[in-house]
Amino acid sequence: MSAFLLKRLLQAMVTAFGVITLVFFIQRLTGDPTALLLPETATQEDFEAMRSALGFDRPLIEQYIAFLGDMLRFDLGRSYIQNAPVAEILASRIPQTLQLAGGALLVAFAIGLPAGVVMALTRGRAISRWIMGVVLACQSMPTFWSGIMMILVFGVWLKWLPPSGTGTLAHLVMPSIALGLLSLATYARITRSAVIDELGRDYVRSARARGVRTPRLVRRHLLRNSAIPVVSITALEISQLLAGAVIVETVFAWPGLGQLTVQSVASRDFAVVQAVVLLGAFATIFANLAADILYSVIDPRVRLGGQ
Amino acid sequence: MTPKLNLLLASVAAATLALPAMAKDLTVDLSGEPSSLDPQVQWNPDSYYVYRNIFDNLVTRDNDGNIVPQIAIAWEQVSDTEMLLTLRDDVTFHDGQKLTAEDVVFSVQRITDPEFASPQLGQFNQIASAEAVDDVTVKLTTDGPYPALMAQLVKLSVVPKHVVEEVGAEAFNAAPVGSGPYRFEGWDRGVSVTLTRNDDYWGEAGPFEGATFRAVPDAATRLANLQAGTADLVVGLDSDGAAQLEGQGDVKALSAPTERVAYLGMNLDKPPFNDPELRKAASMAIDNLGITEGLLGAGEVPMAQLSSPAHFGYAEGIEPWVFDPDAAKEIVSAKADIAATPATFATAPVFDQRIVQALQQMLNDVGFNVSISVTDMPTYLNIVRSEPADNAELSFGRWSCACQDADGIAYPLLHSDSNWSRVNDPELDKLLDEARVSLDPEVRQDAYAQVHQIVRDNYYLLPMYQAAVLYGAASELEFTPTANESMFLNRMSWSE
Repeated sequence: MSAFLLKRLLQAMVTAFGVITLVFFIQRLTGDPTALLLPETATQEDFEAMRSALGFDRPLIEQYIAFLGDMLRFDLGRSYIQNAPVAEILASRIPQTLQLAGGALLVAFAIGLPAGVVMALTRGRAISRWIMGVVLACQSMPTFWSGIMMILVFGVWLKWLPPSGTGTLAHLVMPSIALGLLSLATYARITRSAVIDELGRDYVRSARARGVRTPRLVRRHLLRNSAIPVVSITALEISQLLAGAVIVETVFAWPGLGQLTVQSVASRDFAVVQAVVLLGAFATIFANLAADILYSVIDPRVRLGGQ
Repeated sequence: MTPKLNLLLASVAAATLALPAMAKDLTVDLSGEPSSLDPQVQWNPDSYYVYRNIFDNLVTRDNDGNIVPQIAIAWEQVSDTEMLLTLRDDVTFHDGQKLTAEDVVFSVQRITDPEFASPQLGQFNQIASAEAVDDVTVKLTTDGPYPALMAQLVKLSVVPKHVVEEVGAEAFNAAPVGSGPYRFEGWDRGVSVTLTRNDDYWGEAGPFEGATFRAVPDAATRLANLQAGTADLVVGLDSDGAAQLEGQGDVKALSAPTERVAYLGMNLDKPPFNDPELRKAASMAIDNLGITEGLLGAGEVPMAQLSSPAHFGYAEGIEPWVFDPDAAKEIVSAKADIAATPATFATAPVFDQRIVQALQQMLNDVGFNVSISVTDMPTYLNIVRSEPADNAELSFGRWSCACQDADGIAYPLLHSDSNWSRVNDPELDKLLDEARVSLDPEVRQDAYAQVHQIVRDNYYLLPMYQAAVLYGAASELEFTPTANESMFLNRMSWSE
């Protein structure tokens, strides 16, 4: 177990190193951030002064080595756009992103799983196709549209929920639904096919023969045995939710990492972009690691590290 | 309806009506959070909308655009390079310390220190030194005669020397202490900044006990917040958004012409626009009125000079552009082979792409061969500031120097020394230089009038219109938008 963990951690480090190196150089290929910092009327001398103050006049390789040194000291640097330490900026954004991702997962789980089970049990019937239609419609709606529609209906007309912002549970409802709708279809489809697979197995037939009723069968046997694909999908979805909430966060003015990423990329806030990418890489790596470990808990047949 | 219910409804209605009189706190939706609350660091609307309320400036502009006293109550040009400012003696910072000449000197020295690397350095680096003559008198020395000094000092906020020196730049930015009508209350990163009224303010502090500036990046969401009543003032409205607000009783759109001048820039070193005749044809191909009224419709004013009535140096009597596509076609067809040279129109997403596309269409309609190249902002800036040979044939810009002086736009865009400029005209250079250093307003005004005429006659670039700014506001909010896009809480109020 620990040898397995160690191996995965090492892999994670190598991946992360590759990712930050790529990000470091790609960003610097895209242009000069000082052009955005200074007013249009700034002269060439102003630009030179700003560049040297921020250290962008140094050779690229020197900047890169300094950057790696900072990384080794867990120093994420300073945002010259937001004028604050990057670690502080991330710390303020991470809880928001986790809240939203949690809310979205909850929506996706609470609707997607039952929908998948019902679709599997009613396979071939009209109701199954209806549910699939609704689920796909939810997934296909662009968030910038569904988000604004929700805001108009529940925020402006009915005034049930605050149109945007953060702070209370009520604020979390609409962004969670908007984001959750995207994952919901994935869950419904995965659950459906996993349950259909299980339905064809011998133990299900035996259980039915013993007179086990469907609800009990689903709860006791089917869900647990269908859980593996759902868990691996969750690992993928979590990284999607962390990175892909960009539009939802922008529409609902939700101050999460997605919004931060877009703004930082647009304003050439190198230090922030690097940190966010690094965080995203680690989040993905660890979500997958967690999924691997969870497999063994759910299904004892899976043995880690090839024992 | 029962009498009891009637009574209940009446009291509810009365309570609702009474709300505005209770001086409700103000909520403003900006497009982003401030980059800095230290007024000497970043200079962009999302930042200065907020910190201008925490700090006082040396001087300010009233709603009509006149430079009026704030911390400085009087100023006198004692020599070509020396300005003597007399300060108020009744100003205290939010921590109770008195504001003195030392703080003003410190503020000037801090923002002009190249080591401090303020993005605003270029606006103040002509100030060579600042010294406190006594507690309420400051002498500023410029490195030459500098007529735009007072216009620049409108943007110079006074920071408390003792606080900045004690806590350092980073902590000061996170929790600024000023002397303005509102004191800093809290900054919820990525979400909002809250201010509370400074009841000890030396001037009018305004009616709101508190104000919250929120970061709401999506324009449609800001509009929804306004309509839902969760925001009282929102920025970044376009004319479509303004049209949506029309006919709704509790919200309104407010607009004002700004000091931004939009123009079409042309590369004078490359075909087709190295030919004055073809530049003239381009000017005739553009339907300026159609763009300002049909496309934009927020109160933009067509201009044929690189200034607006909001600027010193605006000249009356510059002939408007003539929209005559048929005449343009004629000129172009006589030089069809040059006109057909492929021309790149460099632009970036921040510019209104409707205008860029309209311009392309109008130019191509008369026979030019224009294609649009959209890049992100830094790449765009690199392109338009590069040497003529590498530069795009066309670009669209909207300039503001935030100084309301013709020098701020005309010099960088027209003087051969500037890397923004594609013009190389010794006569123009001479006039721009003269106007830049003369302390005689009449001499300057006359020089700029000539500059505008030369640009108009030679079609060096095509000024298009004075941009407007649109805000959405709760209908009971009294707010006068200004040309310098200020947002002073102490100039707003709730109407009865």
